[in-house]
Amino acid sequence: MANRVAIVGIGQTTHSGRRPYVNDGELIYDAVTRALEDAGLTINDMEAVMAGNMDMFEGHHLNDAMLNLYSGAAGRPGFKMNTGGTVGTMTAIQGWYHIASGLYDVCLVIGWEKHDEGPATPAISTITDPAVDRHFLVGAIGGLATVSVAYMQRSGCKLEHAAMVRANASQAAHRNPMAHMREIYSVEDVMKARMVMYPLNLLMCCPTSLGATAMVLASESKAKKICKKPVWMKDHVTVHVEYGGAQFGIGEKRWTSHMEAGAKLFKRNHITKPMQETQVFEMYDPFAFAIPMWLEDFLVCEPNEGWKLIEKGALKLEGEYPVSPSGGVLCTNSIGDSAILRVAEAALQLRQPIRRCTLHQLYRRLRHT
Amino acid sequence: MKEKVQEELIYINKTMKIPYKWRTGEVWGEFFRELKENGIIYANQCPTCGRAFCLPKDVCTRDHTRCTDRSKWIPVGPKGTLVTYFMAEQSFLLPTTGEMLKIPFAVGIILLDGATVILQHQLEETDEEKIKIFMRVEAVIKPKAERKGNIFDIVHFKTITE
Repeated sequence: MANRVAIVGIGQTTHSGRRPYVNDGELIYDAVTRALEDAGLTINDMEAVMAGNMDMFEGHHLNDAMLNLYSGAAGRPGFKMNTGGTVGTMTAIQGWYHIASGLYDVCLVIGWEKHDEGPATPAISTITDPAVDRHFLVGAIGGLATVSVAYMQRSGCKLEHAAMVRANASQAAHRNPMAHMREIYSVEDVMKARMVMYPLNLLMCCPTSLGATAMVLASESKAKKICKKPVWMKDHVTVHVEYGGAQFGIGEKRWTSHMEAGAKLFKRNHITKPMQETQVFEMYDPFAFAIPMWLEDFLVCEPNEGWKLIEKGALKLEGEYPVSPSGGVLCTNSIGDSAILRVAEAALQLRQPIRRCTLHQLYRRLRHT
Repeated sequence: MKEKVQEELIYINKTMKIPYKWRTGEVWGEFFRELKENGIIYANQCPTCGRAFCLPKDVCTRDHTRCTDRSKWIPVGPKGTLVTYFMAEQSFLLPTTGEMLKIPFAVGIILLDGATVILQHQLEETDEEKIKIFMRVEAVIKPKAERKGNIFDIVHFKTITE
């Protein structure tokens, strides 16, 4: 049986689109310092350091080694994750494994990205095969636009619903001092935005942000000594799928990595009614259709119900089932940091006494094969 | 927490130009040879589950079986059905050429007749009103003299009525 693992310290930088007066190492140092302060520990208490970043964006490989003076990894075990958009959560999961296994008691995990240093779309296009797919992908946005069109066709969701999602996210981000895009937008504002890639307009896409997040993870015996309110990381699921017809329901029943992850997670945690048994969902929502579509795919709600929940206002900050109360990736997207920030924001939700929540983070990892 | 605006410090501007040579491997090599020499789009088949892949796969994702048996290849398309699409109305830097994308640029996810796996390629139609999901499309293949044995031997997919 694995040891229980808790989040005992959280630190993040402010997020923005451009910070020409800092380098990426300084971002890391900032986040690490804040996480250590939050835990009331020093770098010497850290037994291992895990780093996560998508290195095509800044253009240097092995940057965890180059930047170990900032992260505090020098002289400590640990390694770097580089798994695209999911890298942050994977880094947190690596910390979880190291503690759950009993190997270490206290572990520092860090995710960062400095998006103002390189072009995002060509960098992300390199995830596909150069011989066939790379020219036709056009970054993450190309792939996300295709699934959005298919979702609209399948479920009856309209562009207006995506605009409602973005308007809700802007309300949430406005209350989050660390978020990047904190401006409030109405549904009309979102609908009027310039079209980037049909069906996604400028506001329905996530921004390119920069920032870093660090967390201190601890074993059960240490966690209770370090802080009064440790947040437990209960479970996680990672899924790989085939990139083929299944995600569009072509030639076979529709089946995606999200569905596989949701089914596994809920089954082994004996959750039968996710919307009643959990109280908040911090989702990696990189485009406005993600929330309705992936709530359905994660089996949180019934198929074709996602956009109806949006219409009812149920997913708003003050609604019955808030999704991404931090403003989500729609308002802050510093890729290597985005996914670890979801874990951190979910933990922050649990720490606040206002809302008693049960945390069931759903971890996703998409891979094109 | 708005930060105080600070003076912009020095930055170093560099463009990396790194030449690569990617090998297509046995299956894609054969796929591109057929496309170049005969103008035929082929799908290969998994000997275990029998699915026909186009674009072809070296190994079946589900069965982990090599799919190199040439006698099991079947010609597919050139007609097919549009599963979904996107339409770029803003230009982006392309990692394959280093040039900016010519817009409007529509890309379709297409299921070729006879195949069980989808293919992603450019659509001729760029009027968003005229692109309909499940519409029929057909591959336009370059004349033989212009074909080079790469994915651009297929110019694009045009809309057809049947």
